Amino acid sequence: MFQRGLQRRAAPALAAAFAFATLPGTGRAAGADSTVTISQGVDPVTMDPLKRTITPTQNVSLNMFDTLLRHDRDGKLIPWLATSWKHVAPTVWEFKLRRGVTFWNGDPLTSADVKFSVEKIKDPAEGSEQGPRVNTIARVETPDAYTVRYVTFRPTPIIPGYPWVLSIVDAKYWTAHGNEFEAEHPMGSGAYVFKSWRKDEELDLSANPKWWHGKPSIDNAVFKPIPEAASRVAALRTGETDLITNVPPQYQAQIQGGRDTKLESARSVRVLFVAFNTIKPGPQQNRLVRQAFNYAVDVPALIRTVLGGHGYETSTPVPPNFTGYSAKIPFYRHDLAKAKKLLAQAGYPNGRGLELVLNAPVGRYNRDKELAEAIAGQLGETGAKVTTKVQEWTSYVNQTSQRALTPLYMLGWGDNSYDADNTLTSLFQSDARLSTYSNPAYDKLVESARYEVDPGKRQALYDKALAILHDDAPWIFLFQYDDLYGTSKRLRWHARPDETLAVDEMSLGN
Amino acid sequence: MTAFFVRRIAGAFGVVAGVAVVVFVILHLTGDPATVMMPLEATRAEIAAFRHAQGFDRPLWVQFASFAWNALHGDFGLSLRHGEPALGLALERVPASAELAFTALALAVLVAVPAGTLAAVRRNSVVDVAARLLALLGQSTPVYWLGILLILIFGVQLGWFPVSGTGGWRHLVLPAVTLGMFTMARIMRLTRGSMLDVLQSDYLRTAVAKGVGPFRLIVHHALRNAWLPIVTAVGIELGTLLSQAIITETIFSWPGIGRLAYQAILDRDYPVVEAVVLLGALSFVLINLLVDLAYAALDPRIRYE
Repeated sequence: MFQRGLQRRAAPALAAAFAFATLPGTGRAAGADSTVTISQGVDPVTMDPLKRTITPTQNVSLNMFDTLLRHDRDGKLIPWLATSWKHVAPTVWEFKLRRGVTFWNGDPLTSADVKFSVEKIKDPAEGSEQGPRVNTIARVETPDAYTVRYVTFRPTPIIPGYPWVLSIVDAKYWTAHGNEFEAEHPMGSGAYVFKSWRKDEELDLSANPKWWHGKPSIDNAVFKPIPEAASRVAALRTGETDLITNVPPQYQAQIQGGRDTKLESARSVRVLFVAFNTIKPGPQQNRLVRQAFNYAVDVPALIRTVLGGHGYETSTPVPPNFTGYSAKIPFYRHDLAKAKKLLAQAGYPNGRGLELVLNAPVGRYNRDKELAEAIAGQLGETGAKVTTKVQEWTSYVNQTSQRALTPLYMLGWGDNSYDADNTLTSLFQSDARLSTYSNPAYDKLVESARYEVDPGKRQALYDKALAILHDDAPWIFLFQYDDLYGTSKRLRWHARPDETLAVDEMSLGN
Repeated sequence: MTAFFVRRIAGAFGVVAGVAVVVFVILHLTGDPATVMMPLEATRAEIAAFRHAQGFDRPLWVQFASFAWNALHGDFGLSLRHGEPALGLALERVPASAELAFTALALAVLVAVPAGTLAAVRRNSVVDVAARLLALLGQSTPVYWLGILLILIFGVQLGWFPVSGTGGWRHLVLPAVTLGMFTMARIMRLTRGSMLDVLQSDYLRTAVAKGVGPFRLIVHHALRNAWLPIVTAVGIELGTLLSQAIITETIFSWPGIGRLAYQAILDRDYPVVEAVVLLGALSFVLINLLVDLAYAALDPRIRYE
């Protein structure tokens, strides 16, 4: 008897509880205003543009702060705050600044601001991660308000100081307010003016009406981070955001087929490779084994099957549009018979006796774990036993730093200098932190190239160095990634190879 | 009563201190923040300079002593990632997390207690089977999968709710349901079990014989006595909600302490992880204390002498 009574009374409460969980909303907000919402995986960590190097933070600061130069989408340098730049003496690079540029508060931007910005990064007490970018600069000279000279320690053919990412800050404002204030209340000269920032929620910027390049097309830019890839894709599909970064290939079809969404891609500067740790004992010290493995891996098949076609096979660690790239270096084309022959020559007929571990990070690069498994499978076809060992990035990167990963390890490398130097020294020079390769002849070549001012001679040195890498095969050469972005159809924008998101290059249609 | 409290607070302090030691040691054993924070192309010298500037090159016990001393003064140091005081970063995210956790808990209790009661009262009926099935699903569905599923159905397909971020009650619905599901299932099973026990007791039969009405019988007589294990569970579940918030907040980009913790762990941002974990331990201990107090209020037989 009491059962029915209870049922009668409990039903409305239950119904209400469920109704609350499924109440229909009013649909998405109208998007008639000119606002673009951008969702990267993480929020910027600070508004101080001189501290960090991580891409999502830099992508935000480059909208608020101008740089001396900028790369166009093909990687060609174009004038920005600097109208011209010249190598005036072996150790001196000179920049002429644009006149009439002001910070948002009206302060004029002069050579003193450039000097202040560089010196801030160089100061060890500041603990800036950008330090390595300016370590070739000995001092900054300012002969007049619109001329800046970078004096380098040694003659260098490479424009020092990464002027395409080094933000120029307002020296007067910064000196008056200090680091902590600047980290929350930035003062730039860039296309978009800082409005407000709720950490991990939303960063609001508005177009700078007095920007030297003309007021940008879109009135407001909102950076709204969404850490989870699946949620980012969902937010794009519901129209909550207009642009998402780092789209895993498995969502490609969803975005391409979406009514209001489209896929954008750019050939990234990031290359992925499998390195042999040649400084630790093991069969990987045998060059024949390394070459055999290069022939055993079918890179186009990896790109096709694991990356949904989004990648570009590479024959060298240096991507094609970089200074120092050599088109003369051949590819190791997939040739299983040749791989087996080389292994037999090395003393491992049919791969017998070869047992190796392929280390790889998980969640760091697009499809890293899946790629490692596919590569291990392909290597296994030679008869060698290759197993994968997958680790979370933090402990993985520690071990790369100690050169402890052996005998095989997967790593990605992205460098936005558009010059071979950083890549070829950081990854292969005998004493470099990340190098597990040692060859004195190679070391000499890249060291000479670093200071060779004559472009022809410099290229000749890199041709030789890259030929050595090809023959010695300290890597299994894989591919350059294709960076994938999802955008709403109303957004007009083309992805850039250096992963930057310049809102002034975007516009909105209907 | 006073002695009980002194004992409990001393115990609580011991728990928090123990957690502090464990989190410190584990963090320092599992990775060097210098190599994570510095760019890949940084040289060994640059990394060593960073390590020195942060004091990571001191002996571990010296680092711990300085950490413990400063932590006692509410100073966890500057976040390696943000360059701001770690405790401040953690505290400013507490309101968002609390909003989500309490909504999830309220939702869970509002569904679980009536449903569990109904299932017990109408044992082996369709309602009971449905409730048990829901409980089974709720407890066996991974939070991650459920979150994405809800996003796809209610966000993308139906367009009823926004799928990320904050801004009004509509933003709360999907994350709160996701977060509360496991807890709802647990409390529902517990309510059902507890009610079944109580429903079979003699005093209830006496109450029926006396002519007590059904609603009064269930709510005043049965539920009142079934309450005790449920309250305990609700208290403990609040702790579970805090830990599950890491996943939910990440999926729904909810700006809470769980998401801060997730990123801080990936970055080996020691000061932030330490601040978050200790805040979590403190709140857990506090919740348990409150649950003990609630016992006394709910069950006159319990007295803390």
